[in-house]
Amino acid sequence: MKIGPAHIPTIADEYVLGLLDEAEAARIDAEIESNAALADAIAKARDRFLPLDTNIEPTSVSPALWDAIDRQLPKNADSASIRSVSPRLPSAGNDNTRSGWRAAAISAMAASLILAGGLIWSVTRTVEPLVVAVLVNEAGDVQAVVEDFGNDTASVKLLTDFAVPADKTMQVWTLPSREMGPMSLGLLDDRHSARLSGSALPKPQDTQLYEITLEQAGGSPTGRPTGPILAKGFAKLAR
Amino acid sequence: MALATDQTTDLAIALAACASGDRNGLRSIFDHEAGKLVAVAQRIVRRRDLAEEVVQEAFIRIWTHAHQYAPERGSARGWIYAIVRNRALNMLRDGKREDLVGEDRLEALQDSEQQEEIMAAWHRLDRDSRLKECLGGLDDTKRRGILMAYVGGYTHGEIAGRLKLPLGTAKSWIRRGLLSLRECMA
Repeated sequence: MKIGPAHIPTIADEYVLGLLDEAEAARIDAEIESNAALADAIAKARDRFLPLDTNIEPTSVSPALWDAIDRQLPKNADSASIRSVSPRLPSAGNDNTRSGWRAAAISAMAASLILAGGLIWSVTRTVEPLVVAVLVNEAGDVQAVVEDFGNDTASVKLLTDFAVPADKTMQVWTLPSREMGPMSLGLLDDRHSARLSGSALPKPQDTQLYEITLEQAGGSPTGRPTGPILAKGFAKLAR
Repeated sequence: MALATDQTTDLAIALAACASGDRNGLRSIFDHEAGKLVAVAQRIVRRRDLAEEVVQEAFIRIWTHAHQYAPERGSARGWIYAIVRNRALNMLRDGKREDLVGEDRLEALQDSEQQEEIMAAWHRLDRDSRLKECLGGLDDTKRRGILMAYVGGYTHGEIAGRLKLPLGTAKSWIRRGLLSLRECMA
């Protein structure tokens, strides 16, 4: 759903004032890049209200604060965070991505190893998934497991209760390749584990990205992830 | 960095330095803006330690995202402040502020202090500033609603509660206030 030109100035103001809820703000973050009028309106709104901040009486800052920042700086500017399936905008206002994804990735790898151990044990299964992805949230807590069977079917097991507003749904995505971009595996309408089928995609690969986002009821209107990421993780080949 | 011709140009140059991996760029932003940025964050999250945490996280983000700043998307200063504001708002929405206003009395006290601070942000604007004049042209309720949101980080619900208005009314008043403001400043 595109934001109508007539609504852009209002939405931009409310975004800059921090009045949009999380899902709305995430939608703006997703759209800002492809919508120059929106980006422009946000830039203008920002600069319009900025004097309320820049005219503040500065407080004295302890050098320890700089030291803390300096210690945490990644070596080069590009390696800081894992890229999301959906490109997220920089100047994005209420952007919810945090650098926690790196810790999340490490936990995901650890969790994948544990899971791989579990798989060896579960040899009695009738159909084996080709890949398994352990999905974690920003804090690195395991949220869900996706098993992709490669025959247009994937099983998603939720391992936690997700808070999903009544007008929203959870949508499962994967990134078969950069060229294809993120592809939907399906919706988790009732917040339950589910078996999703029907999306003909290339055979899943090792380290393929899987993620669950919060989308409006009925699924993302653009066919690409637009809402906040609830959990994500990289696939491991089941062996 | 001693050639302080125009602050915004300096900040844009500093961001470009960050993007190329030069820590002096970030240091220069810190030296020029950290005092205000901590104050802005504190006005929203209400606590000095949380405000410093916000600024610390924001500077990491400025460093890692500096390459995405584009001059056609507004001023470098606006971009930097927006990152700090968003971190502060996220922290608020995550509920950390509630930890410190657990007691009713404390909450009431802090609230009235914050209200004063919010209005002070408007009074402090330069006398001849267009923003000051245009905010001055609004009804008191609309002006207060807009300032509570921007300066204090209040949600629609919190604003409605404090202004003793139904939520829908508060939303539409703020919206109309924003429209008048845009027209006035155009």
